[in-house]
Parts: sequence; C-alpha cells; structure tokens
Amino acid sequence: MVTPIMATEGAETTSEDVPVPGKASTRFDLEKETELRFEVEAGEAAEQVDLELLTGMAEVFGSELNRNKKYTFGPGSKIAVFTWQGCSVNLYGKPEVAYVSKDTPMLLYLNTHAALEQMRKQAERDNERGPRVMVVGPTDVGKSTVCRLLLSYAVRVGRRPTLVELDVGQSGVSVPGTVSALCIERPADVEEGFSVQAPLVYHFGSTTPGTNIKLYNKLTSCLADVFSQRCEVNRKASVGGCIINTCGWVKGSGYQALVHCASAFEVDVVLVLDHERLYNELKRDLPHFVRVVLLPKSGGVVERSKECRRDTRDEKIREYFYGFRGVTFYPFSYEVRFSDVRIYKIGAPSIPDSCLPLGMSQDDTQLKLVPVTPGRDLTYHVLSVSSAEDGEEGARKGIVESPVCGFIVVTNVDTQAQVMKVLSPAPRPLPRHTLLIMDIRFMDMK
Amino acid sequence: MADPNKTDELQFYSEILSPSELFAARSRSHKIPVRGQKDFFPNDSDEQRQRLEQSLNEQWSLISEERVEKLGNLVKATWILSEQIVELQSPAGKFWQTMGFSAKGKQFLLPEEALYLMECGNVQVFYQDLPLSIQDGYEMFLSSSTVSLQQYQVFGHLKRLGYVVHRFHPSSEPSSYARQLNLPQCRDRAGRQLKRKRSASPTSSNTEAQEESTADRLEEGKHGYEGEEDEKLPESQLTLSPETSSTQAATASSAHKGGGRTWWMTDVLKDRPDQRPASRTSRWDFSSIPFPDLGSRKCLSSCLASPDPSLLPGSLAVGVCDIALWTQKINLREVKMSSKEQKREEDKRRRRWDVNKDREVQQCRNWAEYRKLLARRQGKRKGRPEHLWDREVTPLHDPRQPIPTGELLDKISVIESTHLLEGASRLKGSDDWRISFNVYQPDSVADFKKSNPGKPYSRMCVCSFDGPVPDLRAIKLLSFQSGDIPVVFAVVDHGDISFYTFKDFQLPTDVFP
Repeated sequence: MVTPIMATEGAETTSEDVPVPGKASTRFDLEKETELRFEVEAGEAAEQVDLELLTGMAEVFGSELNRNKKYTFGPGSKIAVFTWQGCSVNLYGKPEVAYVSKDTPMLLYLNTHAALEQMRKQAERDNERGPRVMVVGPTDVGKSTVCRLLLSYAVRVGRRPTLVELDVGQSGVSVPGTVSALCIERPADVEEGFSVQAPLVYHFGSTTPGTNIKLYNKLTSCLADVFSQRCEVNRKASVGGCIINTCGWVKGSGYQALVHCASAFEVDVVLVLDHERLYNELKRDLPHFVRVVLLPKSGGVVERSKECRRDTRDEKIREYFYGFRGVTFYPFSYEVRFSDVRIYKIGAPSIPDSCLPLGMSQDDTQLKLVPVTPGRDLTYHVLSVSSAEDGEEGARKGIVESPVCGFIVVTNVDTQAQVMKVLSPAPRPLPRHTLLIMDIRFMDMK
Repeated sequence: MADPNKTDELQFYSEILSPSELFAARSRSHKIPVRGQKDFFPNDSDEQRQRLEQSLNEQWSLISEERVEKLGNLVKATWILSEQIVELQSPAGKFWQTMGFSAKGKQFLLPEEALYLMECGNVQVFYQDLPLSIQDGYEMFLSSSTVSLQQYQVFGHLKRLGYVVHRFHPSSEPSSYARQLNLPQCRDRAGRQLKRKRSASPTSSNTEAQEESTADRLEEGKHGYEGEEDEKLPESQLTLSPETSSTQAATASSAHKGGGRTWWMTDVLKDRPDQRPASRTSRWDFSSIPFPDLGSRKCLSSCLASPDPSLLPGSLAVGVCDIALWTQKINLREVKMSSKEQKREEDKRRRRWDVNKDREVQQCRNWAEYRKLLARRQGKRKGRPEHLWDREVTPLHDPRQPIPTGELLDKISVIESTHLLEGASRLKGSDDWRISFNVYQPDSVADFKKSNPGKPYSRMCVCSFDGPVPDLRAIKLLSFQSGDIPVVFAVVDHGDISFYTFKDFQLPTDVFP
C-alpha cells in the first residue's frame, strides 16, 4: 500500500537560497525510484503551486524536468515527480497533499516500455509495423497517465508514436465529445501535456460512448483506417506504432467497443490496468496473437468526482478557445445567419422495431443525420465544424466519417433576426458550413 | 348318335349323356353363387367357419360341374405345338367376326382365343388326336412365349364383358418418325394384314410380333441414343438404361465420396494439417518480449530482469523488479456493479468460451487472418452461407434478392410438371412393361372388321398386384407407344382385376405474380 512519508520528515531543510515572495517553500529529497506526489487544491481561490528541481534528475509522467526551472501547476492538478536516481525538489506554495512514496509501479511501466521498444526494434529490422497498444481499465486507474508515460518514453528514445484518444469524456487531445489521433513528436510538456498540433479529430457529440455506441465504433474504425493509411506512407509512424487510450467503461457495450477497437486497430498488446476480470475477459475474447498484459495501477491515482470531471471538461473547452491558462489565444465572436449553415445531429431517436419497415434494423438510425432547426435551445451548445465539402445532399453521406476542422460555441440565438452569435477560434467566415451539434454545453463565464 | 365302331374311342374322349342326365344338365340353375361380404380376418367363430365352408363348397361344386355342350356346336381345332397356335378343322362359328385370323387359306386361333372359346364351350381342341380338357388348355396354351395366366385372366375378363380384345403389336403403331410426318396409318395396317395373308409360310403371329417388336425396339433405341447424345436435354438422364444409370449412380456416388462429401462439414476438416496449431505463431514472439504481466503467474518469475538500458530513455540503468509484491496489489480499484449487473455478467461469463480454444482461431497468425475468419463466420450466419455457394452446385435462389412469389416458385420448381408424352420419344424401350391388348368397345362388335379394326378404345397393360407400380419412365414409354390412345393398367389380384389409368392433369396455380 501507499506509505505516505510526511514531507517534513523526509526533507527537513527548506531551501533558503531561492526565496519566493509570499510562498512557503518545502524541500523534498527523494531516494532513487521513489516519487513525490502532490495535489493542488481545486477551486477558484486556490493557490498555484510551483515545482523546482534542485539536484539530480526527475520526471513528471515521463517528461524530464529541467533543473532550476519553475513549473507551475494550477488548481486541481495532481502531480507525481518520479526519480530513477534520486533528487531533491522544492515545492513553492501550499499543496493540498504532498508526500513521497516508494511504492510505485514505475519499474513495471518502464519494463513495459522496454518490451514495446524491443518490438519497435524488431519492426524496424523486419520492415514491419510497430506495436499497437491499447490501454484499458476502469475509470481512475491512470490510463491517460500510462499512455502519456509510454508515449514520452517512446519519443525520448527517438520514436514517433501516435496517441489515439478514444476517451470521449476526458479527451487529452481535443475538446470532450470527440475521438482523435495525434502524432507525438516530442515529450509532453510538464505543464501543458502534449503539444496539440494538427490532430485528427472526429465528432462524437457526447461524453459517454453509451449514447451512440454504433457511432463510437464507426469512428474508431475511421481512426484506425486513417492511421493505417498514415502507416503505409510514413515509415517512422508505422514503426512507432500507436498507444490507444480508451474510456473507463468496461462493461456491456463498453466492453464490446473495446474488443471492436482492438480488432479495428489490429492491436498487438493490450495493457489492462488494475482489473483482473477485464484482463481475463480480454484474454478470452481476443485471439491468441494479442498479448494481454495486466498491470497494477499506481497508488497515487486519485478518484475524481463527477464535478471534477465536469470541471476538467470545461477547462478543456476553454483551453481550446483561450489557450493554456487562458492567455495564449484570443477567440472571435461573430454572428452567423441560420440560412448560411446546416446543423445536424448524428443519430435519430430510436424507434420501436415494430414501427420500422420490414427488414430495416435500428442500427441504421444511429448513424443517420438529423437536421436541427436552429432555436433558442441551441444556446451554449458546442458545434463541430465538419470538414465535409459543402456540396449538395450527396456530401451528406460523408459527414459522419469526415474529420472536424474546428469547434464553435453558440453564445446567443436571435430567432427574430435568424442569426446566432458564435465564439470561434478564427475570424469569420466559417471554413465550412456543415455543423454538428454536441450534447456538451460551454458557458463562457470567466 | 354314337357310332358303335367308335364306342371305345368315344368313351375314351367323350361321354354320351343319358337323356335324364341331359335334362338335369339343361334344367340346372345357371346362377353363380354370390360371394357376399368379405370377412377380413378369422375370428374363430363357428358361424364364420360354416359360412366359409359353404362358400367353398359352392365354388367347388361350380367348378366340378360337368360342362354339357352339343357336339354339333363344337368347332374342332388342332393345337400346333411347334407354332403355338390353334388351327381350325371345321368352319368357325360366330366368334370369327372378332377373333382368329387366316393364313395360307387356313383359319387359326391364338392360344388365348382358343382357351377362351374352350371355356365358353365353342371349340374343342385336339392335340395328337386327343381332345384337350380346359385344364389341359390352361397348361398347354399359357406359357411365357404366348400369354401369361394374368394376361389371359384379363383377356377373359374383358371378353366376358363384351369387349373385343386383340393382341397389341408394337409395330402396328406408327413410329415416332411416322407420327411426326403424320403418315396415314390405316393403309399401313391394311397392307400388313394383307401381307400376313399372303405370307408364304404360316409364321406364328407371336414370333412375328416378337420380331417386329425387337425391330421396333431397335428403332426406339436409336431414338433413345440420339437423345442420349444430346446431353443438354434434361430428359437425357431418363434415357439411361438401368445398367448405365446404375453405373452413373455409382460414379456419382464415388464422386460424392471424393470431392463433394464435405460440403456440410466445416472447413476445419478441409484444412486440418497434421501440424499442431501452436506451430503457427504470430510475428511477435512474446516469449522473448518480457512484458511485466501480472496476470500470467505461471510463466513469470518472481523477479523481472532489468531491461536492456539501450531500450530505455536516457540510457537508464535500473535494477530488477520484484513482481511478487505487485501481484497482491491488483484490483485495487473497486468496480461498482449492481446485483443485477453482476448476475448478468456472471451469466455471460458462463455462456461464453475462450475464442482461442477454437482451432481455426489458433491457426490465425494476425488480425487480417482472424478478421477474415470472423467475416466468413459472420457471412455464414447472416448472409448466404458461403460453403453453399462456392461449389459448382449452388442453391436455386439467393435469399437476399427479392423476387415475386410467382417467379420464385418457377425458379425453385426442381421437378417440373411434365406431360406424359413429353420427352418420351427419346426414351429407350424396356421389357419390363408392355402393352398386351388392344381393346375395342362392345358396341362396335356389330360392324367390327378384323382387317380394319379402327382405333382401339384403350390399350391394356397387364400387371400383377404384387408387382411394382409403374414408374414415370414406364408410363411415358407406354403412352408414347400408344400414342393418343389411353393406356389402362389391368392389375390382377389373384383373379380379381381392377383397372387403373394415369392421366395428364394441370396443377392449379393460385399465385399471381
């Protein structure tokens, strides 16, 4: 179990050399293969916490820390600083919790990386494709973190892996309600995570795959297709393989979606985090040439509440429009005429089978585009701007399978004037005029 | 009336009745005992036994009754054994209008005609100067080279009913070629009759008939051969003689054993090499790629060797990893499930089985193969089953293609309705079934001419109740032979005769496409 060591016990001496005005500083001396875990208080009034590496070497989720550089973590951050060789770090500010743990599965994760790297080496030698890894597990076991860790390690040894983000609730790449793929070219930024440049994003529209599992599976297949195409033309991406982050729904349809994903991406390795039953089920349902690996979760993983999840979602959308910590980007606000755009929702409401024509099945409705009449209830909804051509009805078919080129938020609807005001990352006009509505709403309050 | 010189002789072959006996014979009741209702099984009762005995006695007395005929009424005839024919010695009676034939200026009767006339008391037949009893007639006249007992029974039955019954000669019917050309046939028949009269040697009509029938058969065989050559014709299989068809069946069955046999088996058998499935490995050799898998305990040593530093970022050198510690730290995160969900999961787990136990799955080396397998199975379950469609012989209709009901019925009617005469011209003749008699209506007797009998009312094919029912091939053959005259099957059941006929008919169709 986790054995918290009181920060004061482990690090008696506070760093006097680098005084930070108004902030108490705490020094931690870490032995080799231990990690410092700290959480920053959530909420508006919460104080940020700064981290500085004084001596030795340390990493945060696989990304190495620079010595004598201050890293700032905002409210709600939960950070683990791990060292392989031993180090000393300083924390400035008042973290909610901060302790050093010797009990980390990092060595197992590192071994996992070593195995994957061995596969990449073999792939490089045999001119084959690299390992495709799916990380599965229930919610709050550190799936995203393991992904980030493995990706960072891979990038650090010179690979170009791809992150496939299938967690529609807590997307690490784009706004929630989307599935996406991102080519990783450098380790994640300690503060911001992976740099999001030109990700491939598909509109899903909801925060849980259960609302339209058919669409979810379809998009998974779409991503897999695109990734396979990329692998064919890009040798480095092919060798790098991919790491697939899935959502924490591992029962019923969610489990089926996992199996489908494994098949669509033709995964070679499945990493199951802390769920022995899921491990056994996957071993049973996946063919023998797929290596299913059971890994423990880190003791440092904390359970997130519903509110916490909603906040991170909100934060992610805000980040899309305003940039990291709301300072980098300056979004535009302008009016769009209803007549200029076509708004669709994917998936018609389900009809009882008895009402359907003979031979039709319900599946067909789940991928159907239903036109949405703009109205007052459109306010605050996030809309995806589909990259599908603005052609006639013929283009409709491809809308579901077309990636998204951006997102806008409806901030106000004027039914009289038949216009809506939107928040957009780019100035007018809209690049495309096919919009897909999400269940997710965003209120621009800050 | 008896000649004293010949008394001995007369006593030997004839019996002169005394007047009282004659009178008794004349005044005797001519009623045939009524058989009455038939009892179907013995019930061991005295009543039944007595009734049976009485009935038997009546029959016996009827049979043993002396037949008394006027000597002057009897036409004398001689049995010519070598030609299996009866030659009349004295002028024929009224029966000559419908029976017998003349050749070489002599009058002849066919054996069945003679026997029938003997039974009727019209003819007395001598053999080696001795008169034959009716029993003798049965024994001598009925043979395989003349007519069988059953044929005679049918003949007699029809004669007693008043019909005119003649032997059927296959050659008297025009060949299919003649029929096609619509040649007038009466002339041909008349000519043949004349020819028979003129023929130098009194050939037995029977042998003649046999010759003609063989010739006819040859001709028909030729037709059948032509049919066989044309293999595209659907009826060609019908033309096969029993031997060839049996050999065909044999080859078919052997072929069936060879290639076609496994159509219903899964493909597992087909591609079951002797190699163990384990020998087909995926491209990753996971035994040499050490994943820290906490799930598979058996293959895992308690300690994980330190990974090769060249694989690690920043050329880390780390020590061994103790797995044992971590195996106890799995499943830390509690999965909340309602009792209902739990039950369902439990249920599911019991029902499902490891995909990897499947031999075919074990054969797959990568996802592409595995997905192909799944798709194939999916296809089996959903769409059309592939194993039915990848052979030469495919189902008649693809269920996925919609089609009007009428067309569908047309499409799936494997056994097409056929008319009796359809394709019969290509069939080879067979000896199993033969038309025996031409039958003419009784009302035509008055102006019946043997030389020009006209169209028969029907034709009789005699068969036994114990024998097989004629198959379609036989029926087709016979109806073809008979042309437009119906063929009636006289079925003999121990003397009882019933008549059956097969008629063309059209099934009603109530489907409107």
